[in-house]
Amino acid sequence: MTLNQVYNGNSIDEVVELLGKYGKEAKIVAGGTDIVIALKNEKISPRVLIDITKIDELKKIEDDGEYITLGAGVTFTQIVENDIFHGNLRGLYKACRMVGSPQIRNKGTIGGNIANGSAAADSIPPLIALGSIVSLVSSDGVREIPLEDYYYDQVRDNELLRSIRFKKPKDNQVLNFSKLGLRKALAISRLTTAVLLEFDENNIIQFVRAASGALGKYPMREIEVEEYLLGKKIKNETIDGAVDALQIAMDERLKGRSTLPYKRTAIVSILRETLESGNESKNEVGAW
Amino acid sequence: MVNIGLTVNQKLFEISVDENLRLIDLLRDKLGFHGTKEGCGEGECGACTVIMDGETVNSCLVMAFQANGSNITTIEGMEKDGKLHPIQQAYIDAGAVQCGFCIPGMVLSTKALLDKNSHPNRDEIREGISGNLCRCTGYNKMLDATEMAIKYMEEEKE
Amino acid sequence: MKLNVVGKSVVRVDAYSKVTGSALYPQDIYLDDMVYGKTLRSERPHAKINIDVTEAEEIQGVLKVFTYKDVPKENIHGVVLKDHEVFASEKVIRIGEPIAFIVAESEKVCDEAYNKVKIEYEDLPAVFDPVEAMKEDAPKVHGESNIIFNYKLRHGDIEEGKKKCKYIVENTYYSPMVEHAFLQPEAGLAYLEEDGTLVVAVATQYPHYDREEIAINLGIPEENIKVINTAVGGAFGAREDISPQIHLALAAYTLKRPIKVIYSREESFLTHSKRHSMTMKYKTGADEDGFLQYMEAEIIGDSGAHCSWAINVLRKAGVHATGPYVIPNVKVDTYAVYTNNPFTGAMRGFGATQVPIAHEQQMDILAEKLGMDPIEFRMKNIFRLGSTTATGQVLVDSVPLDKCIEEVNEHFNFSEEAKEGAI
Repeated sequence: MTLNQVYNGNSIDEVVELLGKYGKEAKIVAGGTDIVIALKNEKISPRVLIDITKIDELKKIEDDGEYITLGAGVTFTQIVENDIFHGNLRGLYKACRMVGSPQIRNKGTIGGNIANGSAAADSIPPLIALGSIVSLVSSDGVREIPLEDYYYDQVRDNELLRSIRFKKPKDNQVLNFSKLGLRKALAISRLTTAVLLEFDENNIIQFVRAASGALGKYPMREIEVEEYLLGKKIKNETIDGAVDALQIAMDERLKGRSTLPYKRTAIVSILRETLESGNESKNEVGAW
Repeated sequence: MVNIGLTVNQKLFEISVDENLRLIDLLRDKLGFHGTKEGCGEGECGACTVIMDGETVNSCLVMAFQANGSNITTIEGMEKDGKLHPIQQAYIDAGAVQCGFCIPGMVLSTKALLDKNSHPNRDEIREGISGNLCRCTGYNKMLDATEMAIKYMEEEKE
Repeated sequence: MKLNVVGKSVVRVDAYSKVTGSALYPQDIYLDDMVYGKTLRSERPHAKINIDVTEAEEIQGVLKVFTYKDVPKENIHGVVLKDHEVFASEKVIRIGEPIAFIVAESEKVCDEAYNKVKIEYEDLPAVFDPVEAMKEDAPKVHGESNIIFNYKLRHGDIEEGKKKCKYIVENTYYSPMVEHAFLQPEAGLAYLEEDGTLVVAVATQYPHYDREEIAINLGIPEENIKVINTAVGGAFGAREDISPQIHLALAAYTLKRPIKVIYSREESFLTHSKRHSMTMKYKTGADEDGFLQYMEAEIIGDSGAHCSWAINVLRKAGVHATGPYVIPNVKVDTYAVYTNNPFTGAMRGFGATQVPIAHEQQMDILAEKLGMDPIEFRMKNIFRLGSTTATGQVLVDSVPLDKCIEEVNEHFNFSEEAKEGAI
């Protein structure tokens, strides 16, 4: 197909209507950091391209006290520069801060990171750890699915990924994230982990949600790690145990992959860093 | 073809472009701003950096039609009244220029950094230019140049 | 004596044009009535080829698809040995080797025509390991043998040297190919001036060599060719071999139209040389007092499909094989070997950068065996004023290596850290 129709979308309604009209023939372009390369290399060849970067509603970060809603067009730079993400949401800040380069963060969006479907997408593990819900809109109405299920039930041809929302962490919760890349800037993740931890007054974990990136076909929830950590304190033995649990899960998932021995070793310090910083930062968050 | 209008270096351009044209091609081939360089074509090297609506972008990753209504600064827009911008002068004075292919992007990243943070420390400068590759290994000179530019800009204010 | 430049900070002549974006690299030059070129490259490492350009040439907007048949005179070039075909004729010997050059009214038409050039490949056995390539029964890249060059260095008597050693350490080291990745991908323009002079504007390290090669390929006098060196966006050795120059010259000369070509980053990787990978087998020995007495090394450099500067690079690797140490009994053999890998050539250091990986680790391992501080061990053996190198050179000028090591050691505290086992 030859690209011969482009639109500067002005509103969500307009984009939804265009998607309804063109369906499969159309692609959404936001930050363009992945799709423009795919277009150039002819990995994709849509007939219609719809830009959504000028739609203000998609660029909003909303905090209603209970939930935070990120428009799909919110850029990584917007997240990095917003103070909401510097407290117990620091794991999301850290993940977004480590995306690409300043130029990539200025253009790249949360919605694009999700919709592009990369296993190594940096912002997804922390968002999964937060229990995020993705909101998709089409002429049929609104469909909401948990982010952790998104990869098994992706955005449809007539749908626009409109926003993502998660419950604000409680004062005794903290989100952390660690990434292994080959260098500081412009590094695609080799692997990442994100963990949301909730401690009681005795520092015992009373709630936990863990997620990983690049340890499978998609970013995913790490249930075995959660089950292991629940009810324990963060100590050296606990961290070792959590690493064991994750390695067993990886062995099964990445069986036969040439990267498994490397990732198996590398995950040790990455998960350790996530959990240790989670433990340390609970004191800094100011809730205890 | 699609009609777009954009401002480049404070001049308005109205032009009809191919749907699949990228911003870098528009700037170089159609509008003649060949100071914008293409080094990799996939957002890794930063040679094509321009400032779009106040923020640096890789112009190889933006479609031309997406720039409709945008305000863009390229390296050609840095000089004012025939006088170099203090950042440009500092790059020359610090000896930060070697092969020069990264320099337009590097200078624009430096500008965007100083526009947001007028007194960055050396780590912050490194971070600010972390999306721009130099293969002549001149990063230290670029940090020196940025510090020199900060001084020049302060002197200019006085 | 009053010096105008030495000791002073001098502004480079092109700094102003580079900070303002007005410096012209080849891709920045636009000419009226200009056509575009695109190189079709081998997708196989070693194969007989059959080329059919008929369908591609029928596409509207295509001016011509050049192949080896269209080179008027010699279809060959190369900085040292002429072993680089302008376009592959009978067989391809590496991935990325040029087979055809498509010239069309626009880059878009070039791309369209690219898929219409029919190349039939008949794969031949290929060789990718230079050690394997040295064997008699290995597939041959050019002619009868894959060994391009053997540099021999003989100094003293190695059997006597061995006898004096308390410890001899033997290890094999490997250094990989390295890509220069200069920031400005290859690009160029060619056109005819009114009097028929052929002009090629390109970023190159050798405009005079380029001119000579073009003259040989086209069969025209050098005086009728002008090679203009534009602003060069980095080179580091990778612009020493010809890339688009001959293709551009041939097209402009034949079609009498200005022509431009710009390589993508991917094509840039495919087209120019890399740093030689080297397999370095070392035996180094010291006596009980910590003086080096013996060294033997066999260094095999992978030249890939073309010679380029392999002879010079492997010679230099051999000359520098001992490192900056006085060793009375030395035997070094270096080899440059053809394989079907990407070709290798000049890169900053020219063969002197690979060998330290081997000789310095040998020094550390020997020091450990001797129970000596690695710095102290080096200080015992380094070149000083009056030292004789393994090549027989007597160092009569400035040799301040001892000062350098002392200063570095003071700064980084290597000796202390070595005692604590940190290094």
